[in-house]
Amino acid sequence: MAQELTATEKPNENPILWVTRPMATAARQFAKSLFRPSTIVYPYERLEDPKFRGRLKVASGKPFGVGQVWDNYRGVHALNIATCISCNLCAFSCPDLCIDMVTVPGGDPKHPKKCPQIDYGKCSYCGFCSDACPEGCLTMTTRYELSTTKRSEMIYSPQKLLEVFQHKLPMNPIRLARPANEDAILLEPLLCIGCNACARDCPTQCITMLDIPKPEAKPGEKLPKRIWKEPVVNDSDCVRCGTCISVCPKECLFWGTRR
Amino acid sequence: MSGATLFSVSFDIGSAILRGIASVFPMPESGWITNPDVILGLSAVIFAAILLAASMLNTILLIWWERKLLGRIMDRRGAMHVGYAGLLQNFADGLKLFRKNTVQPREADSLGFYSGPVTYMVTSLIIFGILPISSGWNGGALPLTLLLALAIFSFAPLFIFVSAWSSNNKYSLMGGMRSAAQMIAYEVPILLAVVAVVIVSGSFDLTTIVYEQQNYWFWGPLFVALIVFVAGMLAEMERIPFDLPEAEAELVEGWNTEYGGMLFAFFMLADYLRALIGSILVVLLFLGGWTLPTWVPSGLTTFPLAGIFWFMVKTYAVFGLFVWIRASLPRVRTDQLLRVGWNRMIPLSLLAVFLAAVLVTVKCLPVFGCVPSAGGM
Repeated sequence: MAQELTATEKPNENPILWVTRPMATAARQFAKSLFRPSTIVYPYERLEDPKFRGRLKVASGKPFGVGQVWDNYRGVHALNIATCISCNLCAFSCPDLCIDMVTVPGGDPKHPKKCPQIDYGKCSYCGFCSDACPEGCLTMTTRYELSTTKRSEMIYSPQKLLEVFQHKLPMNPIRLARPANEDAILLEPLLCIGCNACARDCPTQCITMLDIPKPEAKPGEKLPKRIWKEPVVNDSDCVRCGTCISVCPKECLFWGTRR
Repeated sequence: MSGATLFSVSFDIGSAILRGIASVFPMPESGWITNPDVILGLSAVIFAAILLAASMLNTILLIWWERKLLGRIMDRRGAMHVGYAGLLQNFADGLKLFRKNTVQPREADSLGFYSGPVTYMVTSLIIFGILPISSGWNGGALPLTLLLALAIFSFAPLFIFVSAWSSNNKYSLMGGMRSAAQMIAYEVPILLAVVAVVIVSGSFDLTTIVYEQQNYWFWGPLFVALIVFVAGMLAEMERIPFDLPEAEAELVEGWNTEYGGMLFAFFMLADYLRALIGSILVVLLFLGGWTLPTWVPSGLTTFPLAGIFWFMVKTYAVFGLFVWIRASLPRVRTDQLLRVGWNRMIPLSLLAVFLAAVLVTVKCLPVFGCVPSAGGM
């Protein structure tokens, strides 16, 4: 017995229905969208506006896109200049090389304070910088409107990022993931000349130069020319930024595991 | 527009201009300024300028109306940014098109390539010029206005074919041939449906046809003719169920593939102008033109420019029907189109003519009771 055909599949149906049925559908759609089309007039209204709250719902429970943006949406960064320690970790971690450390006013004239400046023309919003930030001062907000007519306006200076911070937008949760304890700054004492460069440039001042006893010179032996001090790193304060390694003139500091 | 006609208005404007010239530059009484030919020529120019402005304005508003209506049917909003609710969007688009460069394909025939859009546009403008819009707005005022309008309307395949052929592009040529085949196939049923109207009203003059509809509009008694006329007009205007000549899935853009900038704007405007003319013809022949039924309160028909207002309301409503059809139905195949045209539409239109003849013979219009027809064979 042949399977019963539904109304739309019947080959010999009334041809007038071919015209009238789609027209009825279009009329229904028209009447429905006359009051509230599915599109929103974007620059003038946004899905975050309260009037859209609860219009769209997803089955998983939390309404997405309507009324709110997820907290961990990765948009424009917010920078708290006051807590930035100029550790350079954000610029190190950036895969797009879009972060430059630029001088901001308010630092020591000898060692100026440097804060990240982000080129959003290059940024891929991966969020590595805010993950790497040891102080939680560089975070990503939910702001997503960046379009400009000039490329130069895509480069956000630290002051502009500070303005974003002052808007108090919803931000990514700050992780403050300190590195594991076995990553530590180790010293090769035979190479160190006690020059104080590491302690001077350490952003967290966790390096102190301790006096070491000057050895007795044996006859015929020449003591090395150096200051008889050695850096000691306080591991609990160290953010493992590696500034000391990069500034060391004798390459006597290196990454290692403290035993 | 009771009393004042379009020509009297332009005559007044022209004489006011001449009086202004005479007051600024004093000249003798018997100079050229009092010559009746000057004032008549000037008012004719103003008359044409008013018609041109009205046709272009309505065409552009028609595009806006289509975009908004189609948007709502598709659950969108249509143009929104430029002007109030996007009213000025099409002016901006037109301005952009008119500023653009015109590219002529290599080995294209210059004469046909450039004269095609211009003639297409000009013939469409002529039809708009002779159609009556209200009792005062009557550019043609000829006893055979309807015949003249339809004759000029059927020029279009020639110009489309010429411009398509001279573009030196195979898609254009295919589109042009399809356009010619389709327009000729649907010309016959349209004319037969018009014959039904002419039989009932007894005149080829559109003004007379409108005044014959004072008591009953023709869409009821001549419903079959209306169906045939609307379907044929859809094919003549190349709108969506019958837009084979510019089927963008198969032929890039049909017969205007090679046209860009200002020439494309000419084609686009002329297309919508012809859509406007088609809607106007439906209103004139079947929906009572600028008249309203006698039972509506007189306040609705006596305000200034009431005739033009109601005419435009009806015209835009009819065009809304075309947009509704466009939003609903898919494009048909060429063979289906021609089969429907020759095998269905012509018998239907013959039936419409027969029904009209019967109505006139028994002098009885069944829908509105037994109202004697004013015309007759």
